Amino acid sequence: MNYKLRKLKNIVILSLSVGATGIGLFFLGFILYDLISKGFSSINIELFTVDQTPPILDDVKGGLRHAFIGQIILTVVATLIAVPLGLLGGTYLAEYGRHKRIGRVISMLADISVSMPSIIVGTFVYAILVKPLGSYNGFAGAIALAIIMLPVITRTTEEMLKLVPWTLREAAFALGASYNNLIVKVVWRGAATGIFTGVLLAIARVAGETAPLLFTSFNNTQLSFDLTKPMPSLTVSIYQYASSPYSSWINMAWAAALIITVAILILNLIGKLLINWRYKS
Amino acid sequence: MKTEHEIVLETKDLNFYYGKKLAVKNITMQFPKNMVIALIGPSGCGKTTLLRCFNRMHDLYKGTKYEGEVLFNNENILSKETDATQLREQIGMVFQKPTPFPMSISENIAYGLSLKGIKNKTEQKDRIEKALKEAALWDEVHDRLDKNANGLSGGQQQRLVIARALAVEPSVILFDEPTSALDPISTSKIEELISELKSTVSIIIVTHNMQQAARISDKTAFLYLGELIEYNITDKIFTTPDNELTERYVTGRFG
Repeated sequence: MNYKLRKLKNIVILSLSVGATGIGLFFLGFILYDLISKGFSSINIELFTVDQTPPILDDVKGGLRHAFIGQIILTVVATLIAVPLGLLGGTYLAEYGRHKRIGRVISMLADISVSMPSIIVGTFVYAILVKPLGSYNGFAGAIALAIIMLPVITRTTEEMLKLVPWTLREAAFALGASYNNLIVKVVWRGAATGIFTGVLLAIARVAGETAPLLFTSFNNTQLSFDLTKPMPSLTVSIYQYASSPYSSWINMAWAAALIITVAILILNLIGKLLINWRYKS
Repeated sequence: MKTEHEIVLETKDLNFYYGKKLAVKNITMQFPKNMVIALIGPSGCGKTTLLRCFNRMHDLYKGTKYEGEVLFNNENILSKETDATQLREQIGMVFQKPTPFPMSISENIAYGLSLKGIKNKTEQKDRIEKALKEAALWDEVHDRLDKNANGLSGGQQQRLVIARALAVEPSVILFDEPTSALDPISTSKIEELISELKSTVSIIIVTHNMQQAARISDKTAFLYLGELIEYNITDKIFTTPDNELTERYVTGRFG
């Protein structure tokens, strides 16, 4: 009797969890299917080679070249800001601040910032870098993205450095190395793959962000390399194109959404592969 | 053995504290040059703690305190003026577990060389080869110097660490149970190596393995509860020790 009851419970719980997974996977598949079916047919060479054109001109094919390039510029500048800061911050937490209370506090705050809603970052940067300067600008966008990346890179760096055994540091000390020298030459070296993975995942995390850019770099109909002016980005363009009434723009939004999803997927896959490869042996 | 032997390292009334706990008690002993000196004793007797005083390894940790003197080249290395970093270039250390750095075999050795200011590539290359030959590793690795050191076996890694220590030409190398993580064949290779090395460097080795101390050391010190109980020529310690505690320990009746 008891045994049958347990078996029944097992079946119920098992079907519930399989069902829950199924629902999740169903929507994921649905989204991907929708993206591919609607986006794939709209991908053409003009998408990458032509800038925005007025949607009413049916004979002129428009594209999103400006948005792709703007997105890359914003992401690269954000990465250039966030990587050195995150690397140094994570190094402080794992090395010099390892046994200090302040280290633990910063670490905890970084954990909280990782899950901070990105729109808050957007409005914050708007208040300090857009409003006072009087114009949306590319720098503000890059800094907003950097603020989102920073805690991710800091915490990954900290964790990766802590995985490097303490005995390696002792061994380098025993050779006559200073702490600074051995951190740079030995500890960073040992954690390099892990830190690089963290940077990739941080890039993947911000590549799909719209909210922080909407308030900062905003958008631009032209290709722009001037970081003091509004800068186009894929995510904001998708947002604007998708909510426009023009079918040509909506199709382009689908194509851009597909491309950005695939790009993020690839970044995540590389990150996962690197982790597997690094910690397999 | 000559009675008048040059002294490389000497302790005078050395006390060492972890916080309030006195771990090394009032030790006065002399380490002759170009000999292998073994420190033996049961777990917790302070032999590793004593060894780590000689390259000021305890400086890395809070709440540690030295008292007394450790003389090296007639200078008290415990004094505030001594630069621990420079000291460690002259007194190397090999640990219980092999500690290859996450880089290639040659880079492992080059790292120590560049710390010492030897940055010329040709000179580094010569020194790397020399060190690997001295550590009896050259024949096994000469065709894969640029491969990651983590790919070596445990015994090879330990010999690489010894080569790394040798490359900077220290006067003393401290060994902290260098074979306790190794198989018997690797162990005998390292023991053989240590016996050969004493012509160029002085060696102080902490070991749990009494047979090892008997096989490779010239003099042996027996420590118990932080005190130096007996220090003499190895044969004497293992055959006719003066102290009863020593006799009971070396005959395996306690420890």
